[in-house]
Amino acid sequence: MAVSVEQLADEMFAIVEESAGKRKLKAGDLQKAMAAKHGDEVSRKDVKAGIKLLIDSGRCVYGYFGGSSIELPRTEGAANE
Amino acid sequence: MADDLKIPLLEELEKGPWPSFVTDIKSVAGKSEMAADLLRQLEKSYEDKRGYWKHGGLVGVRGYGGGVIGRYSALPEEFPGVSHFHTVRVNQPSGWVYTADALNGIMDIWDEHGSGLTNMHGSTGDMVLLGTRTEELEPTFLALTQKGWDLGGSGSDMRTPSCCIGPARCEYACFDTLALTYNLTQEYQDELHRPMFNYKFKIKVSGCPNDCTAAIARSDMAIIGIWKDDIKVNQEEFAKYVDSGMDVQGIVVDMCPTSCISVDGKTIDIDDSNCVKCMHCINKMPKALAVGDEKGAAIALGAKAPIVDGALFGSIMVPFIELEEPYEELHDLIERIWEFWDEHGKARERIGEFIERVTLARFCEEVGLDPIPQMVTHPRENPYIFYEEYFAEEGEGSEE
Amino acid sequence: MATDVERKTDIGPPHYEQFLHPVMKANYGKWLYHDSIAPGVLSHTGPEGTIYTVRAASPRLASTNFIRNMTKIATDFCDGYLRFTSRNNVEFLTDKEENVDKIKAALAELKIPVGGTNNAISNVVHTQGWVHCHSAATDASGLVKVVMDELADYFTSENLPAKTRLAVACCLNMCGAVHASDIAILGVHRTPPVIDHSTLPNLCEIPTTVASCPNNAIKPTSIEGKTTVKVDEDKCMYCGNCFTVCPSMPLSDPLNDGVSIWVGGKISNARTEPMFTKLAVPYLPNNPPRWPEVTDAVKKIVDVYAANARPFERLGEWIDRISWARFFELTGFEFTKYHLDDFRWAGTTYKRSLQNRY
Ligand code: SF4
Ligand code: SF4
Ligand code: SF4
Ligand code: SF4
Repeated sequence: MAVSVEQLADEMFAIVEESAGKRKLKAGDLQKAMAAKHGDEVSRKDVKAGIKLLIDSGRCVYGYFGGSSIELPRTEGAANE
Repeated sequence: MADDLKIPLLEELEKGPWPSFVTDIKSVAGKSEMAADLLRQLEKSYEDKRGYWKHGGLVGVRGYGGGVIGRYSALPEEFPGVSHFHTVRVNQPSGWVYTADALNGIMDIWDEHGSGLTNMHGSTGDMVLLGTRTEELEPTFLALTQKGWDLGGSGSDMRTPSCCIGPARCEYACFDTLALTYNLTQEYQDELHRPMFNYKFKIKVSGCPNDCTAAIARSDMAIIGIWKDDIKVNQEEFAKYVDSGMDVQGIVVDMCPTSCISVDGKTIDIDDSNCVKCMHCINKMPKALAVGDEKGAAIALGAKAPIVDGALFGSIMVPFIELEEPYEELHDLIERIWEFWDEHGKARERIGEFIERVTLARFCEEVGLDPIPQMVTHPRENPYIFYEEYFAEEGEGSEE
Repeated sequence: MATDVERKTDIGPPHYEQFLHPVMKANYGKWLYHDSIAPGVLSHTGPEGTIYTVRAASPRLASTNFIRNMTKIATDFCDGYLRFTSRNNVEFLTDKEENVDKIKAALAELKIPVGGTNNAISNVVHTQGWVHCHSAATDASGLVKVVMDELADYFTSENLPAKTRLAVACCLNMCGAVHASDIAILGVHRTPPVIDHSTLPNLCEIPTTVASCPNNAIKPTSIEGKTTVKVDEDKCMYCGNCFTVCPSMPLSDPLNDGVSIWVGGKISNARTEPMFTKLAVPYLPNNPPRWPEVTDAVKKIVDVYAANARPFERLGEWIDRISWARFFELTGFEFTKYHLDDFRWAGTTYKRSLQNRY
């Protein structure tokens, strides 16, 4: 049974939540986590679609410090401390 | 208001023959408090010899991870006009061609939503709209897209591809740089706007080895025009160069790097089998000499500035590829490269550093390129070879 | 802002074709040759006619006013068509030869130089500096302005041995093409990052910060029970990599930041292969607003090159021919221990033959 994009998004959101404040996750980290969990059942495209869902829905945002990351939304100017 | 600007140091930069950015910024400081405070903060930098900007931040337009660079003043109380000073990168048209109307349209948007300052253009190629507030980002984006413009890349994504003017105004162009750049930009919108790589990936496209976009030095993937057959010679025009008194021997024949040109009176002869397509002779006599008919491009990977492990020029991976729409072969290659780099690259490792780490041999194997002598300046000098084939006494072992 | 407009994404840039002058569209891919008519003025000819290009300088950091001035000229004399070059020049495109002088006159009125073609110094590729970047060791726009004030005559004429390309970058990130320009001005930090331990544990990931250092100078440490990092100052080469990933490690130091000068790079394949720039002057003080030490040094390099190189020899090709020893002799720049490479592959720069000039 293929895994739905929504389910992937939920699973990835849990990972992002879990590592918030500890480690900044890149899209590649999420790709690897999903590949490890689901093996061939998910394609890179599905994971990409899942990430897009997370971002478009506003549950996650992109961050940037030397490299791009996927994070929980923070208040504006959080990097502005 | 501009009247109360006290910027004596910067005003020193209004002197002299070169266009002054200070005079220019002043010209909008009357209508833009952002521009006025930018000058005030810059004056302080000139006094104190240091910058007053904070590290970027988490700003962007909804759904995109690239295209906006967050910037905040370190002295927001003193210079409230630049407390936010974010940059918006607008994807430029191929070849940086515009009409007055199109540009004015963007300027209207920027006068309304931003500081009124720009960079024409940024290093990657985007039109850079310099300085606005977070709450203006979405409205700016909305206004831009209504007029048919979109944002470029930033962060760990495919950066906005850029190209030379190529076939639109240059007789040297060996393929359609503008069409290819447009095609790649449209094909990879997702990779441009949603960072998913280990680090940035820049693509620059030049129509001939003159490389007007500096692709060989500044892009992870350089696509540079080249031809395979003979330089086209117009002997009549060549004779005119000789008649005009041009020092053909000194300027052309003697400077050919492979000594493959000979001149007999008013006739030129090129040994094309030894020509390395350096462009020198063609540049010097554009009416007499022209690039050949069998045209395409070479692809070099890995150029970058020093950060992290030192500067690199691109290395030739494909000495010749034909580039005709729909560019399937090139798309294929790009996607294989991204996939391998994505899977095995480290964070902040550019493709050039990645190839050095995993070795060129393995890289070629993984992305499906054959090792050929055109890839190196010379074969290895050391004997530390990882042999993979060997004969076993009996049974297994691979043999050719 | 109206909320009733549909939000579009991923539309990409507009198609370039709508921005091409009709003569360029007609000659697309069919051009025959070009001519240099005067400094800054080119003509390109194809079967469907000739297009004239007038190339003008811009400060790159340009206001909407500046751009409207440019579009006004394009509207008046070019049927609205203009473009920008990879070196931040503005190019006006017209099929009417008689408009060339009118364009030049309109630019002269705005005090904007015309030039940058052939054996000229073209506009300077540069970065943001104190105007907009957090890493900057110096300003970029200011340096470009003072250097080009000094060299403006080389922009408006074509009297150098070959084309000469300048770049300015304000830190080692080198957002400009500093590593492959004939002459490059590079802002440098010279002291290690100053760590803000009060913010670092919140803002920065320790493993990422440690891994960012090419010299392994950063180690995790603990201060008042909080994990932070320390820097082995002997190993630090002030590259700023750590600051890129961790905002709590700024390198800015007004007392020590300054400018270095590099020479001999090139991009094109003409005659010789592309070359990296090499160090000429390791440090000059930041001396705004007009950086006299820097303009003197750049002027010196250009003058010595102009006086000594052969026709069509790029700066790097000239130095390769006469030797670096002679370059230092002719310019009078001091050769120091800082000129000896000590990073990756440093050995490849050591001289391993007896071929020196005496
Ligand atoms: S790179 Fe070559 S084809 Fe492109 S504009 Fe420059 S000279 Fe012309
Ligand atoms: S292109 Fe270069 S190598 Fe080829 S003939 Fe001309 S000068 Fe010689
Ligand atoms: S060169 Fe350095 S300081 Fe200058 S704009 Fe680039 S990152 Fe910023
Ligand atoms: S400035 Fe460079 S060398 Fe120094 S600690 Fe930071 S990363 Fe390491």
